[in-house]
Amino acid sequence: MKSSSTQGVGARLARKEDDRYLRGQGEFVGDIHRPGMLEVAFARSPVAHARIVSIEKPAGAEDRVFTMEDLRGVQPIRAISGLPGFKPSDLWPLAKDKVRHVGEPVAMCVAATRAEAEDLAAQVFVDYEELPAVVDMVQARTAPSALVHEHWGDNVFLETLYDDDLSAAKASAPIQIRRHIRTARQSMAPMEGRGVLCEWNTRLGQLEMYSSAQMPHINRAGLSECLGLDQGAIRVIAPDVGGGFGYKGILLSEEICLGWLARNLHKPVRWLEDRREQLVASTNCREHDYDITVYAERDGKLIGIDCDATVDSGAYSLYPFSACLEAAQVGSILPGPYKMDHYRCHTWSACTNKPPILPYRGVARTGVCFALELMLDAVAREANIEPFEVRLRNLVQPHEMPFDNITKKHFDSGDYPESVRQAISAINLPAWREKQKAGLPDGRRIGIGLSVYCEQGAHGTSVYAGWGIPMVPGHEQCFARLSPDGVFEVRIGAQSHGQSLETTLAQVANEILGVDPQNVRVIHGDTGLTPYSTGTWGSRCMVMSGGAVATASKEIAVRVKKIAGKIMEVAEQDLVLEHGAVRVAGTDRSMTLAEVAHIWYRKPQLLPADVDPAGLEVTAGYKTLRDSGTFSYACHALVIALDTALGHSEILDYVIVEDGGTLVNPMVVDGQIYGGTAQGIGTALYEEMPYDSEGQPLASTLADYMLPGPTEVPEPRIVHMSTPSPYTEFGQKGIGEGGAIAPPAAIINAINDALAPLGAELTTSPASPRRVLAAIEAARLRQAA
Amino acid sequence: MAVNKKPVSFQVNGRTIQATLEPRLHLADFLRDHEHLTGTHIGCEHGVCGACTLEIDGVPARACLTYTVSCEGAEVRTIEGLEHDPVMVQLRAAFTSEHALQCGYCTPGMLVTARDIVLRLPDADEARIRKELSGNLCRCTGYVGIVHAIQKVQQQRKVTT
Ligand code: FES
Ligand code: FES
Repeated sequence: MKSSSTQGVGARLARKEDDRYLRGQGEFVGDIHRPGMLEVAFARSPVAHARIVSIEKPAGAEDRVFTMEDLRGVQPIRAISGLPGFKPSDLWPLAKDKVRHVGEPVAMCVAATRAEAEDLAAQVFVDYEELPAVVDMVQARTAPSALVHEHWGDNVFLETLYDDDLSAAKASAPIQIRRHIRTARQSMAPMEGRGVLCEWNTRLGQLEMYSSAQMPHINRAGLSECLGLDQGAIRVIAPDVGGGFGYKGILLSEEICLGWLARNLHKPVRWLEDRREQLVASTNCREHDYDITVYAERDGKLIGIDCDATVDSGAYSLYPFSACLEAAQVGSILPGPYKMDHYRCHTWSACTNKPPILPYRGVARTGVCFALELMLDAVAREANIEPFEVRLRNLVQPHEMPFDNITKKHFDSGDYPESVRQAISAINLPAWREKQKAGLPDGRRIGIGLSVYCEQGAHGTSVYAGWGIPMVPGHEQCFARLSPDGVFEVRIGAQSHGQSLETTLAQVANEILGVDPQNVRVIHGDTGLTPYSTGTWGSRCMVMSGGAVATASKEIAVRVKKIAGKIMEVAEQDLVLEHGAVRVAGTDRSMTLAEVAHIWYRKPQLLPADVDPAGLEVTAGYKTLRDSGTFSYACHALVIALDTALGHSEILDYVIVEDGGTLVNPMVVDGQIYGGTAQGIGTALYEEMPYDSEGQPLASTLADYMLPGPTEVPEPRIVHMSTPSPYTEFGQKGIGEGGAIAPPAAIINAINDALAPLGAELTTSPASPRRVLAAIEAARLRQAA
Repeated sequence: MAVNKKPVSFQVNGRTIQATLEPRLHLADFLRDHEHLTGTHIGCEHGVCGACTLEIDGVPARACLTYTVSCEGAEVRTIEGLEHDPVMVQLRAAFTSEHALQCGYCTPGMLVTARDIVLRLPDADEARIRKELSGNLCRCTGYVGIVHAIQKVQQQRKVTT
C-alpha cells in the first residue's frame, strides 16, 4: 500500500460535503417541497395491546382518512429469518384487527398542512377492546400475561442454543460467578427523524419516494413486495439524511402507506416523524437480559461461560434485519476475542407489546461487551488481581492471528493485549490507584474502569446467508465514469449520512487514479442513479464501497493508459497516473485526464484501433478476500469521580486505544470514535426508554429521554494502533460502530471499582443516580443482615 | 378545524414579512414551509435540542417555541441571513477544519449558538464553551470538533483585533 499522497488514503482531508450544511443548504426530506403537496399524520394506538372493534372516520372527512381496509392489495411486512424455528409476524402498515404496541399506526390522515392532518387524526374514533400487555421480556416467555401473536402459542420469535457440557467446570472451577445483567431499552434518536415524501410520476409509471433512509435499494425491494409494483416502478431517493445509527435501516409502514397514497391520490404527499412519535411510537433498541455464570481458575484464566440471554424484540419482526438478529447474535459473539474451552449460551428473542427493535450502532455488541466485561471485572475482584490482568491472561495473542474463537468467529488480525497495555499506560493506572486510596478532596470516590471489544465490520455473504434474512450482501458495485471534462464520477448504492463518503471515496479514487478529490463526484443514495447495494450498515462502506471504487478506478486507469499511450506513442507500462494527469515515467511529458477523456468523447478518430469499446465507463464489483468480516477493536480506559451521596458520576479522563487497520481519513475516523463514544456514554449513564406495567412509554420528550450534551461528554484521548486487515483493499477495517460499544462496560466497571469498598455492585445500565444509590443501599442492608 | 387567523408583520433576514397566520404556527414551521428557508431545522419541537436556533432581535432563540404571530415588529435572522457575516465565515471554515459536523443536521443551530459564544464570550474557556453550548444537541460528533472550532475562531479573532 502506498500512502505518500496528501489527498489519498491516509490523508486528513477536509470534507467536501461540509459546505452545503454550513450554509443551511443541506437537503433533508423535510426541506423538499412539491407543488400541491399534502401532509400526512397518523392516528396511532394509545394502548399497548387491544383488539380493534371498530374504526370510525370523522364525519365529512371520509375521503381524507384511510385505514388498512382502504389500502386494497397492500401486503403486510414480513421479515423472515431462515434460522430454524423462527416465527414470522405480519406487520400490516395500518393495524388490522389488533394493535400490539402504543403508537402503532391505525389510520392515515391527509390534509393541506400537518396541523390540519393532526386535527383529523385526533378525530378518528377507534373502539379498542383492551388485552393484558406483555411488558417484561423474561416473563413474556416464562409466565406470559397474554400472547402477542395468538397463533404462535408463546411469545418467542426464536430460540437459539450453543450447547456445551459445563458440568466439570461446575464441579471444580475455583472461581464461579453468577450475575443477572440488564441493559435498558433505548431510542437511537438521530437528530433528524424519519421522513417520507412520495410522488407518482405518471410519465414514467413510477413511484418516486424521498425517504430519510440508510439502505434505499432495500427499501425499494421491500416496497415492491408490499405494494405489488415491480422494482423498476419504484425509485427511492435518500437525500441528505440527518444521522441514522441503525434507526433508518428499515422498511417503514409509513413508506408503504404513503407510496399507496401518492399513487392513488395522484398528489405528492409527505410525512415527517416528530420527536414525540419517534419516542413513543417508533422503533427502539438494545434491551438485553443476561443470566450469566463465568467459571475461572484462581489466577483469572477463563474456563467457560454459561449464559441465558433474552432480548426484548418488541411486537414485530422488522424488514430487513428481522426480530432475531440481535438475540441470535448475542449467542455467536459473546465470547469475543477471549479464549475459553467451554461455552454454552441459550438465547431468546422475546415478543412483547412494545415497539419493535432495530440494530443500533454496535448491534448486540454493546450488550455482550457490557455483560462479559462486567463479569471479567467480577472475576478480577474475586481473584484479587487488576482487571487488566484478567484481560491479558485471556485475550487472543497476536501470534495466534488469524484466530477462530470458540463460536468460529474468524478474527483477521490485531494485537489485543497491546491495546490493553497501551490504554493502561496512557491512563496512568498506578497514579490513579494511589489517588484512589484517599479519594478526592471533595469526598467523591475514584473509580478506574476498562473494557475491550471487537467490532466485526463488512461481514458478507457467508455470514448473512446463515441468518437467512431478506437481505444478504454479495459483491458491492461501483459505477464509474471519466467525464469529458476529466471529472471522475463514482456511483455507489450505499448512502452517506455523516460517514463522510463523499470525501473518503474521493480519496480512494485519488489513490488509484491520481485524480484531484475536488474533481471526484460521489453519487449515492438513489436507486435510480446507483448500482444495487444493501446500503449503509454494519460498518461496511469504507471496506465495501471503498473496495468497489478502487476496483472501478483501476479499470479506468487501464483504459486511460491505453488511450494516452497511443497518443503519446509510449508503452502503457511506462505511464503513471498522478496529479490529474497521465505522465510518461521519468519525463515531464503528460496528458491531463481531461485531455484523454476529450479524445474518447470528442475525437474518437484518434483512438487506438484496439481501444476498449466500453470506453471510460465501468461497473466494477468487489468482495473482500474473505467475507467473514474485518475485526477492529479497542480498549477504553477511564477514570470517574463518584458521588456516593447523590449517585452522580463524572468522567475525569478517558483514553481509547483503537486499531482500525489502515485509516483512509484519520480525521473522519476520530470523528466516528468521538461520536460513537458520546452515544456509548449516553447508554452508560443517561438513556433509557422505560415502560410501565400497561406497556405505556414513560419518556415522550427529550427532557425525559436524556441525550448526552456538551457538558456530559468529555474529549477522549485517542491512540491509534494499525494492523491492516489482510482481506481488504488497503487494509482498512470497519470502525463506524466501535465507539458506541465499549463505554457502558468501561464506565460501569469504573463505578463498580469505586463502589467495591462498599461491597456494592451495579449490573444494570444506565447507571442513573437512582440505580447507583440503590446498589449502595442494597449493599448496606446486606452487610447489616 | 376553523381557526381565527391573526395578522403579523416582522423582518426576516432584512426582508419585511406581512402575513395572516394561524396562531398555533410556530416560527420554524413558518420559515420552512411558508418562506422556504429550510436552514432552520427541527429536531424536537419542545425546546430541548437546539436544532431550530436562530436570532430574534440579535439574541439566539428557539424557533420551535416561538409563535410566529408573537413576532410582531421583531427582526429574525436565520442561518441563510448570516451567509456573509464575517464571524460566520470564520466559523464555517473552522467547522470544516475541525470536523465539527457529520450529518450536518444540528449544524445551523450550532453555528448560530457558536457565533453568539464567540461574540459575547471571547475569553470563554473550554468548560464555559461547553456550558454555553449545552442547549444544542448533536448526535454525531461527540462535540469535540465543535468545541475546537469555537476555540479556533476565538483565537483567530484575538490575533486580528
Ligand atoms: S426543534 Fe426547537 S429546540 Fe428542538
Ligand atoms: S452532525 Fe449530525 S447531529 Fe450534529
